Amino acid sequence: MDFTISEELKSAQQLAQQILGDYTEVDKLKVIEKREDRFDAGLWQALADAGLLGLDIPENHGGTGLGFYSLTMLCEEVGRTVAPIPVIPVLVAAAGTLRRFSSNAQKEHWLSAIASGATVVTAALEEYNNDDPAAPGCSAQKMEGGYSLSGTKICVSHANSAARILVSANAGEELIVALVDPRAAGVTLNAQIVTTGETRYELVMQKVQVPTADIVATGGEALAAMEWALMATRTALAAMAVGVCDKMMRITGSYTSEREQFGRAIATFQAVSHRVADCFIDVECLRLVTQQAASLIDQGRPAHEAVLMAKIWCGDVTHRVSQASQHCHGGTGVDRDYVLFRYCELARQIELTAGSSAQLTGELGQEICTQYLAKSA
Amino acid sequence: MNIELTAQHKALQQEVREYMKTVMTPELLEEMKISDLKEGGGPEFRKQYARMGADGWIGLSWSKELGGKELSHVEQYIFTDEVVRSGFAYPFLTTEAVTPVIAANANAEVRDEVVGGVKQGRVTIAIGYSEPNAGTDLASLTTRAERDGDHWIINGQKMWTSLGNFADYVWLAARTDPDASKKHKGLTMFLVPTNIEGFSYTPVHTLGVRTNATYYSDVRLPDKYRVGEVNAGWKLITGQLNIERLSLFTHGQVDSLYQGVCEWAAETDAPGGGKIIERPWVQHNLAKVRSGLEVVKLICWKQAWAMDQGPLNMADASVAKVYSSEFFVELYRMLLEVMGQAGTIATHSPGAVLKGKLEFRWRVGAVLTFGGGANEVQRDIIAMAGLWMPRTR
Repeated sequence: MDFTISEELKSAQQLAQQILGDYTEVDKLKVIEKREDRFDAGLWQALADAGLLGLDIPENHGGTGLGFYSLTMLCEEVGRTVAPIPVIPVLVAAAGTLRRFSSNAQKEHWLSAIASGATVVTAALEEYNNDDPAAPGCSAQKMEGGYSLSGTKICVSHANSAARILVSANAGEELIVALVDPRAAGVTLNAQIVTTGETRYELVMQKVQVPTADIVATGGEALAAMEWALMATRTALAAMAVGVCDKMMRITGSYTSEREQFGRAIATFQAVSHRVADCFIDVECLRLVTQQAASLIDQGRPAHEAVLMAKIWCGDVTHRVSQASQHCHGGTGVDRDYVLFRYCELARQIELTAGSSAQLTGELGQEICTQYLAKSA
Repeated sequence: MNIELTAQHKALQQEVREYMKTVMTPELLEEMKISDLKEGGGPEFRKQYARMGADGWIGLSWSKELGGKELSHVEQYIFTDEVVRSGFAYPFLTTEAVTPVIAANANAEVRDEVVGGVKQGRVTIAIGYSEPNAGTDLASLTTRAERDGDHWIINGQKMWTSLGNFADYVWLAARTDPDASKKHKGLTMFLVPTNIEGFSYTPVHTLGVRTNATYYSDVRLPDKYRVGEVNAGWKLITGQLNIERLSLFTHGQVDSLYQGVCEWAAETDAPGGGKIIERPWVQHNLAKVRSGLEVVKLICWKQAWAMDQGPLNMADASVAKVYSSEFFVELYRMLLEVMGQAGTIATHSPGAVLKGKLEFRWRVGAVLTFGGGANEVQRDIIAMAGLWMPRTR
């Protein structure tokens, strides 16, 4: 048992902090926010140049090969700075899955291009009322030279600019994972504005032809790939939430220490300071369950239950810290000229992505039931 | 970053778990049915405590000079966790909190007497901090110790002196300088043998267990029983609080309740078919408990690991105390809800679920959120030490 972060990972984290800090000054964020895609291409390229897009990409494919844990540390820093870049769909769900489950030719073709910033490959894991990519409603039909895909995915980040979109579909009894070209015939992208203000896309596929070269996995491998992608995404979201919540709480600690009412800093009222102290406790709890899930995935150990718990905590803590931060700020917190609203929007976005606390608590409860019924039988 | 027990850790865990099964004899379980002996003090408790000493299980964390094995804090936590899980009333405050302080600060004769006695499982020590008018504001305590040549004359009253009815000593904080510039600077620590003239106690029956009020009436205590310098007691009190907390909120004791209720719910028929555990609201409670428990485990591991790296961060120690104490109370409720009316049936009554353990733990748990430093004070510490917010007033 060792909670130490290695020097190598720490220096990658410091580098990320420095670059993200430079690119996320409020004036710069405001410029990006005026654009429909809300993507800071300059920041993305700066991270690529520093080797930070390839943290979880092997060295022989142009990455630094530091592993999944270091990638979750990057996600935390992105959360801390509300940086407008798609680290989770691109680096975790797409590249992470390709790295572990795709053919050598596919790795060769995509990974170094992602690490260098030349190409964006995104992922579409969610459908309406279904966030389990291992059990999609989308269907696939085997055909000469590949598959034909039909169905709808939602809230897909950067679907319009990505070179490919990683999706799953059911081909009869068998699951497949494919890379869909958003420019292929049969693809319709409908813009969806989400809570963060970002434009995402409804991806409608009508008999989209996907060539064999873009089929990532089928059958058991595809199932394992999508289970991994969901676990990794949930864990990365929890890590991002650690950054978001830690920062919101610290902003609130500082604000209440300066804001005076009744002739004194409002932080000197216990009713206020204790609410912020509760955020501190919440963030520490979230950090611990997230570190556990991330290190288990990093080491290829069974992580299913640890991930469920991390995402349950993630949903609860983002909600609580966000509301407490807004409350303790009074009117200042809701003003769009102040920084806090971005954190609150991102917190809600994270909370409702890839499974809410209520849903996952239900799933965990069912798993506990199954486990103990089996034991008592 | 690797948050799992090592193979050696797991082996230690298993070894302690198996050993503790032999400590919890049917005779001891019978003795613990007597409410005054639930927390130890009976002949069978003394016999098993002495056996643990003879088998080398006491003082594992102590230095080799004291006869210990210098276990790491992580290993010590694994030991503590398993001992608490077993239900044995092991006197952790004696062995882990007070004895090392005595070893480092007491007069040689007293040190040998006490440390040797604890090592053999003969000696237990009660804590004499709180008073009727000094709880959270401990430094305001008024029990007086006045010098009289080679002796100290002690007068005053202590409250909540658990184990005071059978302990061999009270680890007593007393005021030796009533005019000190700051009230915590006028305190000195003493070991008071409980067979000394002028010492007495009366029982205090609580919602949970029995505890005591202890009285010190012209107790004439030889100076050799003073521990540490005169007026330098505060540091000895606060120095071991973190270690104290590490033995209060362990994972195993509540994890075993959770597992017990899961097993019960999976075996018990629900009216209208199926088992209790198949009901959605039961699953909801169990899942809530499960995800909260995971954090108790991780906090304990992180604290133990951090103590092996250096001094514990103040805010982190307070986080552990507040989270665990408040979650324990929630856990008792959520698990009792699963059992419903059956959850109110007391130990030894027919129909008691899990031998009424939860009904009892809930009672004892009422003290958790204020004991060992009220949670309000912990939150003040978190705001100041963790977030650099100004002191509340």
